[in-house]
Amino acid sequence: MKYLTIDTTTKVTAVALAEDEKLVGEGFLHTTKTHSERIIPMLDQLLNAAAWKLQDLDMIGVVRGPGSFTGIRIGIATAQGLAQVLKIPIISVVSLDALAWAGKGRTEDIVPILDARKNEWYTGRYRWIQGVEKPECLTSPQAMPTGQWLEFLWGLDRPICFVGDAVGKAKGHIEQVFGDRAVILPEYACLPRGAYAVEAVWQRWLQTGKGELVEPYYIRFSEAEVNWAKKEKARRSEGHE
Amino acid sequence: MTENPKSEVVILGIETSCDETSAAVLLNGTDLRSHVISSQITTHQKYGGVVPEIASREHSLHFQPVVQQALDEAGLTFGDLSAIAVTYGPGLVGSLLVGVSGAKAMAYAAGVPLIGINHLEAHIYANFLEHQDLSFPLLALLVSGGHSHLILFEAHGQYKVLGRTRDDAAGEALDKVARTLGLAYPGGPQIQRVAQEGDAQAYTFPRAMLEPDSLDFSFSGMKSAVLNTLNSARMRGETLSVPDIAASFQQAVVDVLVRKALMALERTNVKTLLLAGGVAANKLLRETLDQSLSVRGVRLVYPSPIYCTDNGAMIATAGYYHYLEGDFAPWTLNAVPGLNLT
Ligand SMILES: [Zn+2]
Repeated sequence: MKYLTIDTTTKVTAVALAEDEKLVGEGFLHTTKTHSERIIPMLDQLLNAAAWKLQDLDMIGVVRGPGSFTGIRIGIATAQGLAQVLKIPIISVVSLDALAWAGKGRTEDIVPILDARKNEWYTGRYRWIQGVEKPECLTSPQAMPTGQWLEFLWGLDRPICFVGDAVGKAKGHIEQVFGDRAVILPEYACLPRGAYAVEAVWQRWLQTGKGELVEPYYIRFSEAEVNWAKKEKARRSEGHE
Repeated sequence: MTENPKSEVVILGIETSCDETSAAVLLNGTDLRSHVISSQITTHQKYGGVVPEIASREHSLHFQPVVQQALDEAGLTFGDLSAIAVTYGPGLVGSLLVGVSGAKAMAYAAGVPLIGINHLEAHIYANFLEHQDLSFPLLALLVSGGHSHLILFEAHGQYKVLGRTRDDAAGEALDKVARTLGLAYPGGPQIQRVAQEGDAQAYTFPRAMLEPDSLDFSFSGMKSAVLNTLNSARMRGETLSVPDIAASFQQAVVDVLVRKALMALERTNVKTLLLAGGVAANKLLRETLDQSLSVRGVRLVYPSPIYCTDNGAMIATAGYYHYLEGDFAPWTLNAVPGLNLT
């Protein structure tokens, strides 16, 4: 089965072509241009280079977050637009689940960290299961204050392999806290890649065997909703006094 | 479609620049086969205005079903389309990006050209949907929540902005006054509703005309005058009549719009005025212009109210004329939130 995957949840535009579990082609751009400018040209080039036609595709995989709100929506709108016209199913995966594949075969706990601003990361914790040859999720995706999360990880008393787009900035701090308990992969391996999305999408396809309705996975509410809820709570507690 | 679809120009128009997700299928520029508008107004009401991130989230959920419904209602598939037209600015960047990304993917997969549409241009083109006998040159008064423009429209795609707002747009000023009066969002239609029971002569608010030869607008001072009146009454412990305030302010805004439009018509000697944008649905504005223009032998044209607010039909209409010119967008098309007309 032939399919393509799209990941635009960080500043990286990652598009890949794959056939079953095999990666066929991969586009990776980490420049200042926007996803909106890069994504269709990148897909077009990949298809041409692989001598594939869009009509050859049987499925589309997309990474639905967490990550950049705008990036999530661009990826999903693109995947949905393509799938709607081609009348093929969509499979969606969580960005952190895909990134866990960066730690393929490792013995340390795998911790993807994605920049969530406001001193927080979108993060989770995984462990590679030998024999099954898949990462297993131990701590499910959440937005965490960076200090609190590192403290939690420190308390686990295990070696940890960090991946994700926040690694670049946090490297010094992580090494300071964890010393040689931390494994930091090179940046190109840490960032979202088509290859990781392909692994995660293929696993999900094997599980479901059919397409699904895709919804963005933001984790966080918008600021306006948070503020409104706060005000509403304050108003209610006043009313009860 | 039944017979030889390619002999006709079929445009799918998509709009996601603010708080409406909309799609329409248009045949040959005037035959509207379907028109779907999914409005977010009720979602934003509790915040008193459009919240950009929430608008983007709503577009993301509704975009695909809205497009599919438009195609289904038209009884067509992507294979029947000649092109896909989408708003790429001005507007909220996150909202625009949902439409632009989705439309691009659809056009690429369907193997049809992509057309990037300027939202302001589309508001003006809404007039062409119902009026096929328009001949250039035309003058357009574009008034909405985000824009107040006087535009000389000389030929398809050729615009000269003669005047624009220097601060608040007309619709924005109406919204803000409505909020202060405790009326619901969006304020423009509420002001119009409440004003029906009010006396437009009750208060005299300033009519900001700027320099004698200027066609620019300024509504922020006029808005402040209303707010000051309300504040000083509040401090004196008086309650003012909301209908009177609404009627008087609406009258002031309309007076300015009409006077500037008349100045522009005189200066350019154009014989047709097109009204466009959300505020173009305002009855007082239409009636006042109608009276002033008929005595001057100038024709007034305005779209039906449904085509005045943001909608996919106007995008498809503008798209049709771009299609005739072969004016297509590259796959690198990006959202341009601050896009200008010229
Ligand atoms: Zn508009």
